[in-house]
Amino acid sequence: MANSNLPRRIIKETQRLLSEPAPGISASPSEENMRYFNVMILGPSQSPYEGGVFKLELFLPEEYPMASPKLGRICLDILKDKWSPALQIRTVLLSIQALLSAPNPDDPLSENVAKHWKANEAEAVETAKEWTRLYASGV
Amino acid sequence: MDSEDDMHDAHDGDSLEDFYSGDTANESDDGAGDYDFMDNDSDDPDHVTSHRQQFVASFCRYDERLEDGVEERSMFPEQNYTVLSEEDIRRHQDEDIARVSNVLSISKGSSSILLRHYNWSVSKVHDAWFADEENVRKAVGLLVKPVRIPNVRVLTCGICFESHSRDKMDAAGCGHVFCSSCWTGYISTSINDGPGCLMLRCPEPSCIAAIGQDMINKFAYHEDKEKYAHYLLRSYVEDNRKSWHKTVEDGWSCLTVDVACPCAVTHPSEVIKGRADIITSEFGTFGCDYAVDFVFGSGSYDVSCNCSHNFCWNCTEEVHRPVDCITVEKWILKNTAESENMNCQETSLYGVPATNNRLDELQMQEKDAEETPHPQTVSSLILANSKPCPKCKRPIEKNQGCMHITCTPPCKFEFCWLCLGSWAEHGERTGGFYACNRYETAKQEGVYDEAERRREMAKNSLERYTHYYERWATNQSSRQKAIADLQHMQSVQLEKLSDKQQQPESQLKFITEAWLQIVECRRVLKWTYAYGYYIPEQEKAKREFFEYLQGEAESGLERLHQCAEKELQDHLKSESTPTPGFNEFRTKLAGLTRLGLLSLTPIPSLRMTNLIRNQPNPT
Repeated sequence: MANSNLPRRIIKETQRLLSEPAPGISASPSEENMRYFNVMILGPSQSPYEGGVFKLELFLPEEYPMASPKLGRICLDILKDKWSPALQIRTVLLSIQALLSAPNPDDPLSENVAKHWKANEAEAVETAKEWTRLYASGV
Repeated sequence: MDSEDDMHDAHDGDSLEDFYSGDTANESDDGAGDYDFMDNDSDDPDHVTSHRQQFVASFCRYDERLEDGVEERSMFPEQNYTVLSEEDIRRHQDEDIARVSNVLSISKGSSSILLRHYNWSVSKVHDAWFADEENVRKAVGLLVKPVRIPNVRVLTCGICFESHSRDKMDAAGCGHVFCSSCWTGYISTSINDGPGCLMLRCPEPSCIAAIGQDMINKFAYHEDKEKYAHYLLRSYVEDNRKSWHKTVEDGWSCLTVDVACPCAVTHPSEVIKGRADIITSEFGTFGCDYAVDFVFGSGSYDVSCNCSHNFCWNCTEEVHRPVDCITVEKWILKNTAESENMNCQETSLYGVPATNNRLDELQMQEKDAEETPHPQTVSSLILANSKPCPKCKRPIEKNQGCMHITCTPPCKFEFCWLCLGSWAEHGERTGGFYACNRYETAKQEGVYDEAERRREMAKNSLERYTHYYERWATNQSSRQKAIADLQHMQSVQLEKLSDKQQQPESQLKFITEAWLQIVECRRVLKWTYAYGYYIPEQEKAKREFFEYLQGEAESGLERLHQCAEKELQDHLKSESTPTPGFNEFRTKLAGLTRLGLLSLTPIPSLRMTNLIRNQPNPT
C-alpha cells in the first residue's frame, strides 16, 4: 500500500496540520490514501466569503515536495512556477485563504466574474455574499 | 532600398536603421526593406573585435563543409555569417566568463550567473556592476559574504524534515541548510524542468541566493550536469540574440550575434513537449549543436547551417527570400490554423499541430461541427487554444482558466492570452485584463463583429486560401522532389551520362546548374503564393500585374523543370552513343536555366539580385 512508505516529511506535515491547525483551515488525510487531503477553509472575516465553508481536495504527487501539491484550478503562483520544496501544505492553504480576503481580478479563473468585479465591485461583492450563503454555508 | 548593392554600402555609412521588420508593426510593401542593414557601432569594441577576427579566420571553412547536392552555395555569393561548432561556442563563452571573473574579482561561477542575467553581454555586466554593485548582487542573487552554517552537531533539513549531522548539510552561502539528498532532488527537478534551472535560487522562498555551477557540480547527477552544461551553452547563444533584439530598440548595436540553428523546428516530432500548461521546445530537442554567427552590414539574412538546414537569420523560418518575414509569419500562422480544414500534412512542418494533444481534441470537436462548416470558427477554435508566445514564438497551449500566461524560462514573458500584449501593460489603464483596448476598439470599429462581412468571408475565404495554399504546397513538394533528383543526378546519372555522351563530367555542369536553379526557383515561386495571398483585395491592378508575371515565371520554370526531367531521361536512355541532339539539349537547358524567374523582376519587392543567377544586377 502506498501509505506504508510515506516519506517522513509528509507524516510530519500531516501531524502538525492535525495538532496545530492554522486558524480557519482544516486539512485531514483520507483514510485510504494518506497523500489525499480533504481541506476546508473558512471564509475570512470581513470578506464577502465570511460564514462560508470552502471545501477543497489536495493531492500530494509522488514527486512531492519537489513538485507542488495538486489542487483544483487555482491561479496561484506558488502552485506553478514559484513552487519551492521548502513550502508546505500549510503555506499553500494560507495563501488560498489570503486570496479569499484579497481576490485578484487580474488573474481570474472566471472571466465573467472578474469583469463584474471590475465594473461594479459593490454589486460583485453582493453576488459573492449571496453565493456564499447559497452554496457554501452548509457542511 | 531596392537592391542589395545599396545595403552593402550601408555598412560604411552612418545611418542607423531599424531593419528588424519583425519588431515593427508597419507592414512594408517592399520586401527588400526586410533586408536592409544598418551600420553598427559597438559599445564594447574590444570584445567584439576579438570575436570578429576569429570569425573571419574561420570563414573559409564554409565551403569544405558542404557535402551533398543540396548545397546552395552558388546562390549565396557572399557570406555574412559563420557557423560555429559547439567547441567554438564554448570557447567564446569561457573567454567571456573568465574576462568578467578577472575584472570583477569574483568566482567563475558567479561570473557565469552575472553574465547570464545580463544576456551574456560583458559590457553590460561591467556597466551595471560598477554603477551599483549592491543592487546588481541583489538582482542576480550573489551574496557579499557567505552566511556561516550554525556550528551545531545536528541540523534539520528544511525539505525532508529529517535531522542530519552537520557534514551532511549544505547551503548556498545564505545559511539555509538542506541535506545533500534534498539538494540533489531540488537541483535535478529544476534541471529536468528546462533551462529555467540556470536561474535557480535557494529553496527557501524568501531567499534570493543564486544556485550556480559550484552547487551543480557538488550535487547534480552526472547526466543532469551534462544537461545543465548544455542549457548554459544554449543560453549563451539564444539569450545573446535576444539581448540584441532589445538593444536595437534602445539604439545600441552589435556587430556579431549568435543564433542557434533552428533546424529542430522542422522536425515536429522532436520539438514540442507538453508541460503543465505551456508547451515548450525543450533544449535537448534542438536538432543540431551549431550556432550561427551573423555579421551585420552585408548580404542577406539567408543562412545555411552545417547541418544542411537553410534558414532566415531574421525570423528563423526556412529561407523565404524574396518574401519578407512578416508575410511568412502570417502565412505560417494561417496554415497552422487552416491545416485542419485543408486536411493537409505539410503544415505540420511548422510544429504546432503535430504534437499537441489538445489539438486532437479540437479535431474531434471540429468533426462534430462538420455538419455546419464554418471556416472562421474552426480556425479560431484552433488558434484560440494554441498560440505562439508573442516574444519567443514558441507555441503555447492554454488549458487553464486565467488569461495571464507566463512563457517557460528563459523567456518568461508574461502576456495576455486574448490580446497577446504584455501583461505589465495590462490593468486599469487598458480597461482591464480581458477588455484589452485593442480588442474592444477593434470590436467597436466592427473589425470583428461585422456580421455582413463575416458571412461574406466565410463563403469566400476558404476557397481563396485553398487556391493559394495548394500552389504553395505543390511548389514545396516539387522542390523536395527536385532536391532528391539533383542528388540522384549527381551521385548516379552524371557518371552514366558522361560515359554515354563521351564528355567529361566538367562539361555536364550545366545540368547541375539547371537543377540548382530549379530548386531555388521552386522555393521562390512557393513564397510568391504567400505574397500573392496577402495582396490587398482593393489593389486590383497590382494583383493582376503580379499574377500575370507570376504566371509567366511559372510557365518558364515548368519548361525548365520539364526539360531537365524528361529530356535528360531521353539522353540517358537513348540507344545511340553519343545521342543526337545532345548539344541542342545543352543550349536549351542552359538558356532556360539563365532565364530562371526573370519575369518576376518588375516587382520591386520580389526583386533580389541573387534571385536570378547569371543575370546582371537589376538596379
